Amino acid sequence: MDTASHLSVVIDLSPTQWHLSSEAAKGDSRPLSLEFFFSQLLVFLNSHIACKDENTLAVFGALPGRSVLLFSSANEAKEHREDLADANAYLPFKTLDSTVMKSISDHIDSLGVSDVEAPTGLVGALTKALCHINCSTATASTQPNAQATSLDPRILILSVSPDQSSSYIPVMNSIFSAQKLKVTIDVCKLFGSESVFLQQAAHLTGGSYIYLDRPDALLQYLTMSFLPPPAIRQLLSVPTQDKIDFRAACFCHKRIIDIGFVCSVCLSIFCQPVPVCSTCRTKFPIKTLQRLNAARPPANVPKSAAPTRTLPSTNNIRAPATNGSGTVPVPPR
Amino acid sequence: MPSVDPSTDATEEGPHILLAFLQSQSQNALTRLYQKPSSCLSLFRLMRPLERQLIMNLLWLESPIPVSMMASWITREGRKAYNDALATLASLHVVPKSTSKLALNPTFKTSLRHAITGGDVSGSFGAPVGSDRQYPAPSVEALDAYALERWETILHYMVSSGTGQHPTRPSQEVLFLLQRSGLMTNMHGGALQITSSGFQFLLHTPHAQLWELLLQYLHMVEERQMDLVEVSSFLLMLSTMELGREYSTESLSTTQLAMLADLRNYGLIWQRNPSSNQFSPSRLATTLTSCAPPLPILNKAGIGSQTQGFIVLETNYRLYAYTDNPLQIAVLNLFVTLKSRFPNLVIGAITRESVKKALANGITAEQIISYLTTHAHPQMRKNNPLLPVTVQDQIRLWELEKNRLKSEEGYLYTAFASQADYEYVLNYAKQLDVVLWENPSRRCFFGSLDGHANIRGFIERRTAGNV
Repeated sequence: MDTASHLSVVIDLSPTQWHLSSEAAKGDSRPLSLEFFFSQLLVFLNSHIACKDENTLAVFGALPGRSVLLFSSANEAKEHREDLADANAYLPFKTLDSTVMKSISDHIDSLGVSDVEAPTGLVGALTKALCHINCSTATASTQPNAQATSLDPRILILSVSPDQSSSYIPVMNSIFSAQKLKVTIDVCKLFGSESVFLQQAAHLTGGSYIYLDRPDALLQYLTMSFLPPPAIRQLLSVPTQDKIDFRAACFCHKRIIDIGFVCSVCLSIFCQPVPVCSTCRTKFPIKTLQRLNAARPPANVPKSAAPTRTLPSTNNIRAPATNGSGTVPVPPR
Repeated sequence: MPSVDPSTDATEEGPHILLAFLQSQSQNALTRLYQKPSSCLSLFRLMRPLERQLIMNLLWLESPIPVSMMASWITREGRKAYNDALATLASLHVVPKSTSKLALNPTFKTSLRHAITGGDVSGSFGAPVGSDRQYPAPSVEALDAYALERWETILHYMVSSGTGQHPTRPSQEVLFLLQRSGLMTNMHGGALQITSSGFQFLLHTPHAQLWELLLQYLHMVEERQMDLVEVSSFLLMLSTMELGREYSTESLSTTQLAMLADLRNYGLIWQRNPSSNQFSPSRLATTLTSCAPPLPILNKAGIGSQTQGFIVLETNYRLYAYTDNPLQIAVLNLFVTLKSRFPNLVIGAITRESVKKALANGITAEQIISYLTTHAHPQMRKNNPLLPVTVQDQIRLWELEKNRLKSEEGYLYTAFASQADYEYVLNYAKQLDVVLWENPSRRCFFGSLDGHANIRGFIERRTAGNV
């Protein structure tokens, strides 16, 4: 039970959203500024390292249009940092804090004015985090003393940006990879609207999704919900979502949709019936197409095709039951 | 892949042995210990996962929270572990026992906060010395070699005592410590002999061995009029230091300066010469609070054996150990009949005689099996189960064989005047639960030693009453 665990933190560093966040006052609490966020985040990261000497940590930043590795405890161990030695601080903490802050400011400085508006590379950062975990577990299992290095990998996403519906497919692919690697994805939504995709990511990988209600208590949220490794979460419950938005985005217009049409061959999702699947080039019979078009709401909704939001644990994409383009629920397991 | 990790098993059994020791200390001493952020951080790491999480939950709260609120976070399965954790924390005075509110000990809270945020002002993490000087700090490899040499000298001395060999003797202080801890004894006068607990000690992981010796050291500290808080905080400080860096002795107290010599003997720290005002912790010291192997050079070719695992055990009880390390061979010799020896390989067999010999020395079957498991060759790790079941079972059976006869001291009560008398006394003895054996037809029974005074009194009262 007392094994080392790995934590990868993905920080959403969208300048626009952070600017909005530091302006907006939520309820009676103060707005969440970037400066305050970093002070709390570093304490949380230190706490993770403090829990166990073998705990490993990787920090990824999602900047507009790019994603970067800000810190990895695997790299830092090899470097000797003479300038940081200090009788008043535990060296690994100090190395961590200064490396994270330095690389963030370096990358922010290198951002051009035109880059700022680009969408954040959240998916890129998530993918890099998964690759990092895969890499470390692969090397660990080839070592002779693999028993000591059984990792317990987790990813924590600290998000401020709204969903980009264009990233639906890569996010879902990341989720499936995470499931395969047995990685738990936790999400803390710091600012902005609820994120449909990240809710699904947390739900499907057994993690927890938390919307930060009280920005001033950020550290307490992080410590109580995201610090305990999965083994402890069985003893000490952490908050989970009571309702999850399972909507998917269509492949054709990248819109989040309530009712979708699923290709019976490759399970691609479309917001309207199409004669030819754009992914696998399957042709559907024209009769089916007409029937589906006729069945589309709001014209008249057939009994079997009524979209329902009352079943939070099931998928609420219902395609009309036909032979041509099928009834397979998405996302496919 | 089977992953058997004896160190995790140990942590599930109970708190770390250092914590168990500290629980018996006074609240004042503990509060003084908690003043050092480095001590708090190291102790925090020695705790069990749930205890750590509970501390973390409370660490950033300014006001106490109701017990019921904390309990509402606990799942049904977690109840028992939670109560255990709270009891441990209470006995360490980290979370004072309370029926209404939970809060961290203020000293502990301040220090741990300082440790995590880096706001310490007392210099409790050790003052490092810059390396741009005439003598560069020793390399990590040199430190590892030094620590291994010191540690193996101690173990090798233990394992070969009484076998007629004469390996290098560790220093007098180490020998005294071994004797005090009951691992070795000189009961026949003259040379020290290893005891049965010493044999068990040899099969433990280096980590457990190290803590066992250090704990004995802490016990001795009180007799030597040294300040226990200073000693333990120094040990905990060592564990937060960085391998391969030199630290200054200037900020140490006199007690801690006196400890340097002892710790040098155990291989925990390295000094250029005894009067040097700098020291470097070895890997033995820096891994005190982690479960990383304290002697990882065993992994490297040349010094120790090739890998940490070196034993191949076959279903026909043959054992191949890829090692040239005299210590490992000596330990194997405790329970294996060694047949032939090659430059990098020892071949032997586990036989009834060899296991009997080990059992007679006080080693248990479980210890043999766990030693074989932890040191199994990487090739063996592909098997599931790791060790051949036949061999495991047979070792256990040999142990059971030893337990066929059980001896107990006691008294035989016989020659009762009548059957009624006999039954009356027997009934009384049964109520006391001291009857080990009875034979109604011959009117006698056998009672254990503790019950004798009562039974005798009972019979005397009865005869006196009859007269």
